Amino acid sequence: MSGDAGTRGRASSASRSYAGLLPWSLCFAVFGLVPLLAALVLSFYDMNPLRPDLTHWIGLSNYTRALGSPAFWHALRTTAIFVVGTLPVTLLLAYAVAALLSRLRRGEVFFRAAIFFPATLSMVVISLVFKSLYAEQGLLNGWLTALGVPPVHWLQDPRWALPSIMAMDVWASVGYYAILILAGRKTLPPPLLEAARLEGMRALEVERRIILPHVRPVILFVVLLNTIRSFQIFIEVFVLTRGGPLDSTLTLVYHLYERAFYHFEMGYACAIAYILLFLVGLILLVQRRLIGRAPAEVPAS
Amino acid sequence: MGSRGHSVVGRAVAGALAGALALALLAVVVGAAISFASCGHRAPAKRTVVFWQFSPLTAIQPVLDRFRREHPDIEVQVEQLTWQSGREKIVAAVAAGRPPDLAEIGSTFLPGLVADSTLIDLTDSIPDLKPLLRGWSVAEYRGRAYAIPWMLGTRALFVNQDLMKRAGLSPDRPPATWADFAGAVARIDALAPEIKGFGMNSGEREVLFKKFMPFAWGNGGDILDSTLTKSVVASPQNIQALRFYLSLKPHSLLDRQEMLDEAFTRGRVGFAISGPWMLRKLPASSPDLHFEVALMPRPAAGKGTPASFAGAEALGIFRGSRAKADGLTLARFLVREENAMPVYVATGNAFPAAVAAVEDTYFVSHPLDKVFVEQLKTAVAPPVHPRWVEIEEILNGELEEAIYGKKSAEAALRSADARIAALLTPKP
Repeated sequence: MSGDAGTRGRASSASRSYAGLLPWSLCFAVFGLVPLLAALVLSFYDMNPLRPDLTHWIGLSNYTRALGSPAFWHALRTTAIFVVGTLPVTLLLAYAVAALLSRLRRGEVFFRAAIFFPATLSMVVISLVFKSLYAEQGLLNGWLTALGVPPVHWLQDPRWALPSIMAMDVWASVGYYAILILAGRKTLPPPLLEAARLEGMRALEVERRIILPHVRPVILFVVLLNTIRSFQIFIEVFVLTRGGPLDSTLTLVYHLYERAFYHFEMGYACAIAYILLFLVGLILLVQRRLIGRAPAEVPAS
Repeated sequence: MGSRGHSVVGRAVAGALAGALALALLAVVVGAAISFASCGHRAPAKRTVVFWQFSPLTAIQPVLDRFRREHPDIEVQVEQLTWQSGREKIVAAVAAGRPPDLAEIGSTFLPGLVADSTLIDLTDSIPDLKPLLRGWSVAEYRGRAYAIPWMLGTRALFVNQDLMKRAGLSPDRPPATWADFAGAVARIDALAPEIKGFGMNSGEREVLFKKFMPFAWGNGGDILDSTLTKSVVASPQNIQALRFYLSLKPHSLLDRQEMLDEAFTRGRVGFAISGPWMLRKLPASSPDLHFEVALMPRPAAGKGTPASFAGAEALGIFRGSRAKADGLTLARFLVREENAMPVYVATGNAFPAAVAAVEDTYFVSHPLDKVFVEQLKTAVAPPVHPRWVEIEEILNGELEEAIYGKKSAEAALRSADARIAALLTPKP
């Protein structure tokens, strides 16, 4: 009798959970899954959105065209530079900021909010602010000139444009990931840290042998999330440089946007999107294996 | 126990789905009932025209209110598009088979729509409008009109009179020739390190041809020949114009248009090529700045023309539009001088295409606006060609290489010429 009641209670709780998930699932199906599948189908078609009546099957041609296109490889290379350039810096800075925040005795709430603040802003707003900062006669060049350094053509110089966007992206992301890592650190049982100190471990050793292994799952999550976001870089490029100058900031998503909405090659753009999806999936798998598999170190005690 | 638990969960999920479906059905039934009940005493049905345009609603609404009074049987559903995403929205709507009945379309987007037969041919429906409007070249392809010019835009030369004076130049005599212009740019640039002679666009490839081609057009050059089948990009006139344009670079501030406008507003640039929107912005944000607007410089006194770029906002009706006739009625109403002029006065972006607008008393009391109206007379529109998007991309890309010093003027234009020629060559 009590067993039956327990089963019914669990079932009722589960059904409430499923019912709660229903609105999100419906939204995901309509706005996520259906477009995803439609894009997959479209990637095998020659489709001009202005003439949908002329849409026709071309098999793998869009994929072979992309893989043979210098513009595609250039955009992929630019995106890869962006990912490789921002990911480690963002992660290291986020970890360092989280470590500093966790050591604060006073004002932690204020600094936490301040660090998290950029995450509350839309990337469009951030990009517009940085556009003014990076202007030829903007604030950054004003400071450089005051220091006697010649001004830098941040967004106009092909050598500086991508690093400038990368720097902005790191600034915008660090706070969010720092708070995630900080939350991971907060779950560490205080007695464990206390025991480590009693054992005579130094701060760096505690960080390396206790805290780092403990927050490894959070770091994995941050790496995966940041990798996905970085490969999807679009808004920053759209607002700041539109892929220029001299294609130095032409990323893969911006390239596919141009193909879709300026050249009306929707099928080709979908094929590029799926190649990107495949690449990101592959990289996430490798990252998961590399970071997720490493055994967590535990203190000797 | 497990299977029983799952069956209970399954029943619960099924119940939730059934509940959602029942609610949706109920909503449909209630909606149908209300609609059925109101059928008996419904006012005469109004026809609806869906109109997408770029002006703020506060600017267009008074005009549409007038339209409603004139056409009480037509309701206008107006929507404001943004310059950032309007194009994507139109493309998505056409792809979904739900385009607006009438849309404002920029002249750079128009050729693509014409090429794909997305817009209907209006030629035979609007012969009476032909003599009443200017700017047909942006809306016509092979003699057929696929849109109706509504507003025309161009760029003119903004002159900082304070810097002219400081450089020992007469502030009331803006440079009229290339030589005068280059001299004035160099002298203003020499005033101080933070001051530049000219604002040259860079870092935004999509606008480069609009900034360079006025010099080429003024020098007798062009992009395609009159038959639109052959590239003339590498003509001596174009090469000479690009050499001149690049000669301004050492004395120029290189940045995006909005930053150049900003630098001009702050008095840090002697000359900037910009649009009439600056006429509203400058007195408000920089009341102490003394400036003048002049026609673009011509190659030499008595040689060439003071050409500029001509853009247009045209009104087009899509093949998939549902209320084509009413859309055309609205278009005819909007292009009338008395209806287009209030939109210009409210927005200050582009001038009415209506020929009669030139004589509007507004321009008597606003002489700087009048300069743009004058500039329109020698402004040139890029060709309406089915491959325009690619032609523009090639041209902008090669110009960017020249501006960044990767190629000489001649090499860039020859390369553009070869690539455009290859594009125009019919494939076997």
